[in-house]
Amino acid sequence: MPDSSNSDAIIKLRGISKSYWRETLEIPVLQGIDFDIPRGGYYALMGPSGSGKTTLLNLIAGIDRPTGGSLEVCGYELNDLDDDDLAGWRNAHVGFIFQNYNLVPVLTAFENVELPLLLSSLSRRERRARVEEVLALVNLEDRMLNYPRQLSGGQEQRVAIARAIVGDPDLLVADEPTGALDHQNAEEVLALMERLNTDLGKTILIVTHDPNAAHHARYQIHLDKGVFDKTVEVNR
Amino acid sequence: MKYLRFILKSLLRSKRRTLLILSTITLSVFLVTILQALLTTLDAVSNNPNSSNRIVVRHKSGLTQMLPMSYLAYLKQQPEVETATYMQWFGGQYKDPSNFFANFASDETTLFDVFREEFGTSGVTEEQIKDYIRDGSGCIVGKSLADKFGWKVGDVIPLQGTIFPVSPRLTVKVIFKGMKPSQENVLHFHYKLLEESVPRIKGRVGTFFLRVHNADQIPRLSARIDNHYANSSAETLSETENAFNLSFVKMLGNISTIIQGITAAVLVAILIVTAGTMSIAIRERTTEIAVLRALGFRTGLVLGLLLGEGMLLVGAGGVFGVGLAALAAGGIRKGVGTSVPFLEDFSLTPSTMLLCLGITFVVGLLSTFIPAYQATRRPITEGLRSIG
Repeated sequence: MPDSSNSDAIIKLRGISKSYWRETLEIPVLQGIDFDIPRGGYYALMGPSGSGKTTLLNLIAGIDRPTGGSLEVCGYELNDLDDDDLAGWRNAHVGFIFQNYNLVPVLTAFENVELPLLLSSLSRRERRARVEEVLALVNLEDRMLNYPRQLSGGQEQRVAIARAIVGDPDLLVADEPTGALDHQNAEEVLALMERLNTDLGKTILIVTHDPNAAHHARYQIHLDKGVFDKTVEVNR
Repeated sequence: MKYLRFILKSLLRSKRRTLLILSTITLSVFLVTILQALLTTLDAVSNNPNSSNRIVVRHKSGLTQMLPMSYLAYLKQQPEVETATYMQWFGGQYKDPSNFFANFASDETTLFDVFREEFGTSGVTEEQIKDYIRDGSGCIVGKSLADKFGWKVGDVIPLQGTIFPVSPRLTVKVIFKGMKPSQENVLHFHYKLLEESVPRIKGRVGTFFLRVHNADQIPRLSARIDNHYANSSAETLSETENAFNLSFVKMLGNISTIIQGITAAVLVAILIVTAGTMSIAIRERTTEIAVLRALGFRTGLVLGLLLGEGMLLVGAGGVFGVGLAALAAGGIRKGVGTSVPFLEDFSLTPSTMLLCLGITFVVGLLSTFIPAYQATRRPITEGLRSIG
């Protein structure tokens, strides 16, 4: 379970708060969040709408900045990184999986997966080998030349997962990864994520409303009105 | 280069839209290039390097007034003058008023000497010139003019006078090639023929052309000539041949301002159309841009990719537009050049093409930068619409 003194923690949050401003009105979304997540963990962030779970995920993934507190992820204090460094950090350490897949429609499955590698120093041949490897891992090696519109929702999400892991990140963050999928496709995606955690040792943090999706995690972190509520170990 | 495929695919996302904007840019750049080429062509009329050492002396009151032929002796006596000739605009028509071309009654003996650069490369032999000088009803015509009407050496050309009550029948003695097309769209015949046919102009002529040893001497010489004839019954106006030619261009009005005004309007139109299109195209991809940034693409790189896309689109339009204008230049020269003064030399110079391409790139950069910059400044979370 989350431990506020775990030295092997990949995520360390201390007094994290986040507010949004609507004109002069401050809207607090997160307040005083403290917890650690150990390397290799599989956690589900849960809570009612507006509880701040997506905001917290965004902060951990480095695509948003906290209003207060300390945020150490993958060995980096994110508050110390400027925008360009943070972009480089995300590319190296974080894989994103979105509810609506967010694939680039004009690129093939192969090209979508290759996107994060364009930022690396890998040669074209090395990129190709790496992309083919991860597409095989998500069982889409025969679909690599298909465009997103030619794929089913489940296949699109598997392409998105391949894109998330192609750079071999330490941390995978997923926002409602099964929210747009039917039950069967959702199960396939969840099974795949579980394999990434158990077989490849990826730390996974997902935001979900779906109890079934949350059940695949090992721990569930509950937020309520922007405040840490409880952590529950999943019994399987 | 590894991003080129991404840029190209993004550009072709909406093929119809891309084609429409490309067509708009191509057409606009074509128009701008043609206008700029027109400006360059008109500018060249008054910037002929061969004209720099020639002075035109005419009546101060205007071209319709004539000067005494006796002035020629004084003009030739000036130490700066190497040689001199004279000519009179005849303004004759060939069969139909629409067959417009320049025709002059000129001194057959000195014409070739004063305009030696123009005739020097014409391929005309001494024997042909002598033959022309010998035949009082002979004429010389430029090649493009001869080609236009199918004239050959020996043909008889009837000209109907519109200024002078005389209609000479001229025999083509020489067909010469000019240094540029405008120099070939002209006919000269003997001044004596005109003078003998129109008694009222006897001993008078419209313009003198002086060739000086050194172009630096022109201002002093011009002033001296005009001072000499000041307060006489026929005062003179002496100016360089380039300035003389420019006065004809000016008769078209302030053409430069008009052309630059139209060019500016077209450029603003491209700017607005491109900026509008790019703005829509970029706004449609708000989420995609946020995803790229989430994946680690730095803001500057995303901005560069969007700018690259816009520049490629505008650049392609620019190249197509300039290319089209280059193809059209020949057609304009052949189609309009023979009937519209100054357009015989219409051409697209490399500097005009580079200028138009440069302007196009600047417009492309300006029109793409603002929407692209705004898109990359938007918070990633806002782009993902993921505030939870």
